Amino acid sequence: MKVQETAPNPLAQGLYDYRIADPAVMVIFGATGDLSGRKLLPALYNLAKQRSLPAGFAVIGAAMSAMTDESFRQTASQKIHQFSRTQPIDDRVLDALLSQLFYVPVDFSKLDDFRSLGRKLQELDATNHIPGNRIFYCATPPQTYQTIALQLQGANLNAGDGYHRIVVEKPFGTDLQSARELTQTLQKSFSEDSVYRIDHYLGKETVQNILAFRFANSIFEPLWTSNLIDSVQITVAEELGIENRGAYYDHAGAMRDIIQNHGLQLVALTAMEPPLAFEANAVRDEKVKVLRSIRPLIGEDIEQSTVRGQFTKGWVLGEQVDGYREEPNVAPDSQTETFAALRLFIDNWRWAGVPFYIRAGKRLPKRVTEIRVQFKRPPHLTFGREAMKEVDPNAITLRIQPEEGISLKFGAKVPSAGLRIRSVTMDFEYITSFLVEAPEAYERLLLDCMIGDPTLFTRADEVEAAWSLVDPIENSWRSGRPPLELYPAGTWGPDAAAKLLQADGREWHRP
Amino acid sequence: MSAVQYPTTLWHAENVSIAEVLAALDEIRRRFAHQEADEGEHPHPRNCVMTLISVAPTEAHEQTAKRTTQMIGTEHPSQAIVIREQQPVEGRLLDAWITTDPDRPKAACGYECEFISLHVYGEAVEHLAPLLDPLLVSGVPTYLWWLGTPPFGKPEILDALHVCDGLVVDSAQFRDPYHSFHRMSDMLKLTHHRMGLADLQWSRLRPWREMIAQFFSPSDRRPFLAGISEVGVDYAGEGRGNRIVASLLTGWMASALGWKLRRATAGTGGVVVAVYAAGNRSVEVEFRSVPKEGLVQGELSAVRIAGVSHGTTYRLGIHHNPDRARASDIDFPERRRQDTGRVLLTMIEIGEGDPLRHIQQLEGQDEVSLLLDLLSTGTHDEVFNRSLAAAEELMEKF
Repeated sequence: MKVQETAPNPLAQGLYDYRIADPAVMVIFGATGDLSGRKLLPALYNLAKQRSLPAGFAVIGAAMSAMTDESFRQTASQKIHQFSRTQPIDDRVLDALLSQLFYVPVDFSKLDDFRSLGRKLQELDATNHIPGNRIFYCATPPQTYQTIALQLQGANLNAGDGYHRIVVEKPFGTDLQSARELTQTLQKSFSEDSVYRIDHYLGKETVQNILAFRFANSIFEPLWTSNLIDSVQITVAEELGIENRGAYYDHAGAMRDIIQNHGLQLVALTAMEPPLAFEANAVRDEKVKVLRSIRPLIGEDIEQSTVRGQFTKGWVLGEQVDGYREEPNVAPDSQTETFAALRLFIDNWRWAGVPFYIRAGKRLPKRVTEIRVQFKRPPHLTFGREAMKEVDPNAITLRIQPEEGISLKFGAKVPSAGLRIRSVTMDFEYITSFLVEAPEAYERLLLDCMIGDPTLFTRADEVEAAWSLVDPIENSWRSGRPPLELYPAGTWGPDAAAKLLQADGREWHRP
Repeated sequence: MSAVQYPTTLWHAENVSIAEVLAALDEIRRRFAHQEADEGEHPHPRNCVMTLISVAPTEAHEQTAKRTTQMIGTEHPSQAIVIREQQPVEGRLLDAWITTDPDRPKAACGYECEFISLHVYGEAVEHLAPLLDPLLVSGVPTYLWWLGTPPFGKPEILDALHVCDGLVVDSAQFRDPYHSFHRMSDMLKLTHHRMGLADLQWSRLRPWREMIAQFFSPSDRRPFLAGISEVGVDYAGEGRGNRIVASLLTGWMASALGWKLRRATAGTGGVVVAVYAAGNRSVEVEFRSVPKEGLVQGELSAVRIAGVSHGTTYRLGIHHNPDRARASDIDFPERRRQDTGRVLLTMIEIGEGDPLRHIQQLEGQDEVSLLLDLLSTGTHDEVFNRSLAAAEELMEKF
C-alpha cells in the first residue's frame, strides 16, 4: 500500500506536543546489547508512559542469542527498571509494553533467520492492525549495518505495504570512502529518505534550541554577521576518560568521535542561514551549505590551524586518574588524540573572516558543551580606557550542557559616584524557565522516526561533507603533522591549544 | 509528586497596605539575591515562570490553593498569590503573609519562589486589579485560578481579569453545575481579547481525546471519520449537571468533524440521546449514567465509537480503569510495586479480526499536574473554545 497524502486529522488539532505515530513494528537488531538496554527500551517505555505509542505498536528484539519472548521481556523489564529516566516504573504501562515485545533469534549471516523475522512481522501485521510499517533499528556495531541491510533486502523485508525505515547509529563510516560505501549499500535496500542516521546529540532540546534562539527571535539574527562578530568558540569537554571503550576509541580519537559529528553539527547550526521552514530537507540543505563552505584545511594549514593532544596522568574532580596509554585496550605507544582543536573559516558572505575555534577532549576539567559567540569591541571607548578596563567584549553563550541555557554578556555601570563599567550577564536557564521537563534525546528521535520526520537525523550529504573536511586532517595527523602534544588530565588541553588562539590575539573562554 | 514541605513565613502583618507588602517583598528579594551571589560576582537576576493568583472563597479552598501552588513552586520558579475574601471589618484593609521557598538546582542558579497570601476585607475584593497589579512580576504570564464556583460575569472577577492573561476554573467543582457551566461559556464574550479561559475538566479529557484521535490517525483509517454512526458516552452521577464532561467531549468531536446538532431526547433508563447531522448522515450520541466505583460525579467511565467505512465495520472502545487483566502471565521478580496509576483500556475492532487491546496510563489527574499541563501551553485554546460552544448548545437541549 502506498502512503497517501491525507488531510490532517481534525481530532488531533489542539493536542499540543502530542504527535501521533501510525502503528508499526520496530525491529531492534542487537536487542540484547548495551544501547538497547540503556537507551532504546527505556525510551520506548517513556513514550508508552506519555501515551505516544499507538495501539498495535510492537517491538521485535533480534540478536544472536537464543532467547524466548518471555526471557526477552524479563531482560527488557530489568533494563527499564534500571535505566528509565522516570521512576518509579508504572507496572501497568510496563506490562502493556512488554506484552508487545517479541524476540526472534537472528544470525545476521543467515538469510533464513531474516525470513523467520519476516513471518513474525506478517503475523503482527494481522493481529495488531499494522499496515506493514517497519522500523529496523541497527543497535549493532557499524560493521554489521551493510550485512543487515542486504539481508533485509534478500528476505524482501525492505519493500511491501507501509513504510520501511532503517536506523543506523554514528559513526557513519570511518572516513569519506567508507561513509560513501555505507551510504551506497544502504541505498541499495532503502531510499535515502528511509535511512535515519541517528546522532543522539541532535535530539537534545538545547541543540534544537539553537535554531529556536536564532530563528524565532528577530533581535539576534541581525547581530549574526561578520560585521559584529569577532569569533566563535565551540567547546565539547568531558571530564571522563574513555570508560572501557579503549578498543573503539584508540581507532577513533577525538576527531572522529566528536569533531566529525557533534562538533561540525554545532558549527552548522550556529552558522546556517534561516531555513524556509523547520522541515527536514530545508534544515538539512542549509546545514550542508555551511559544511561545504568551510574552507578545507590542507598542507601547512593543518599544522597551523589544528592541535592534537593526549592526556597523561593527572587530577580530575579531585581524584587522580591514569593517563590515556594506561587505559585498558589502548596501545602503550598509542598516538591517538584525546583532544582536538581546530580553527576553521566559513567562506561565505555572512561569516567571511570570522574564525570558528572548536575544541573537544577527554579528561578536561569538567563536562561542558557550549557555543560562545564573541562580539567585536565598541569602535570608540566613550567612557575612556580606565572605566572600561574590566569590560569583556559582548558575548552570547549558548550552553548545551550541563547548565542548559543562554547568557548575554554586556557592560553595565558599577553603582558608585564615579563611572566604572564592568561586565554582567543576563541569563536564561532552561531548567527553571518552563513548566515541563525535557524528554530524553532518544525519546524524541524514536518518535520522530515513527512519525517520519528526519529533520534531526543526518543526511548522507551532510556526513560526506563532514568527512571531506576531516579526512585530510586525519591523514596529516597520522603522519605526525602536527605532532601529538601531551596534557595532564584535568587541564584544558595542551599548551598548543592556547597558542592557537594567542596567535590571533584571542584566548579560550573558560566555560 | 512528593508531599510538600511548607516553607516558614518570612513576613506577616495585619491590617497593612499593599505598599507595605511590596516593601517587605523587595527586602526579601534583595537579601536572597545577595546571598546567592558568589564572592565578587553580581547577584543573579530573579527567575520566574509565571504569577499564579488563586482566589479562594473558603478556608478549604485556601488550603488547596496554598498546597497546590507550593507544590508547583517546588519544581518551577514562580510567584503565587492566594486571595481569601473576608467579611468586612471597619477600618481593616488586608492581612498579608509572605513565605519563600529557595531552590538551588545543581545545574542552574538558585531561585526563590514567592508565596503571598492576602486576606482581603470588605469592598476591596471587588477591586482586585489595583490590589494585585503592583505585586505582579513583569514580563511573565499571570493566571487567575478561581477555586469553587467563580462569580462569572460579576464585577469582582471581571475586574481581576484586567491584570490577567488567563482564567482557570474547574467545572467539576461548580455548585449548580448546569447553570454555572452556561455562565462560564458566556465569559468568553465578556472579557478582553487577550484573556484565555481554561477548565481543568478539559485537561482531564486530554487522554480521552488523544486515544480517539490516535485511532483515526493512520491514513488508512482516516476515512473512518466520515463513517461514524454511533457514539456512546458513559459517565458517573445522575442529572444534567453531571453531563458537562460528556458534553465537552461530544462538543469537541462535533465541532472538529462539522456535525450539526438536531435534537436531544431522553430515552429509557436515564439514557439521553443526541442526534447530529453529519452531511447527509446521522450520528447518534448516547449518554448513559453508569455508577462506577472510584469515579467522581460527572467523570467519564467509557466512550464507544462505531461506524462503517467502505464496507468495513469498526468499533473503538475506551474504558476508564478496567478491572485488571494482565496482558502477560510472566512473572517479574524484580517488581516491588503494585499498580500506582489509573489507566485507559482501548479496544479496537476492525472488520472481522480479533479485538486489539491497548493500555495507556492516565496519570496526573490531580490539580498540580493538571495546572502544570494546562499552564505550560497557556490558556488560549481555540479547540476548547469551540468545543465549549458546542457543548453549551448540547447542554441547553438537556
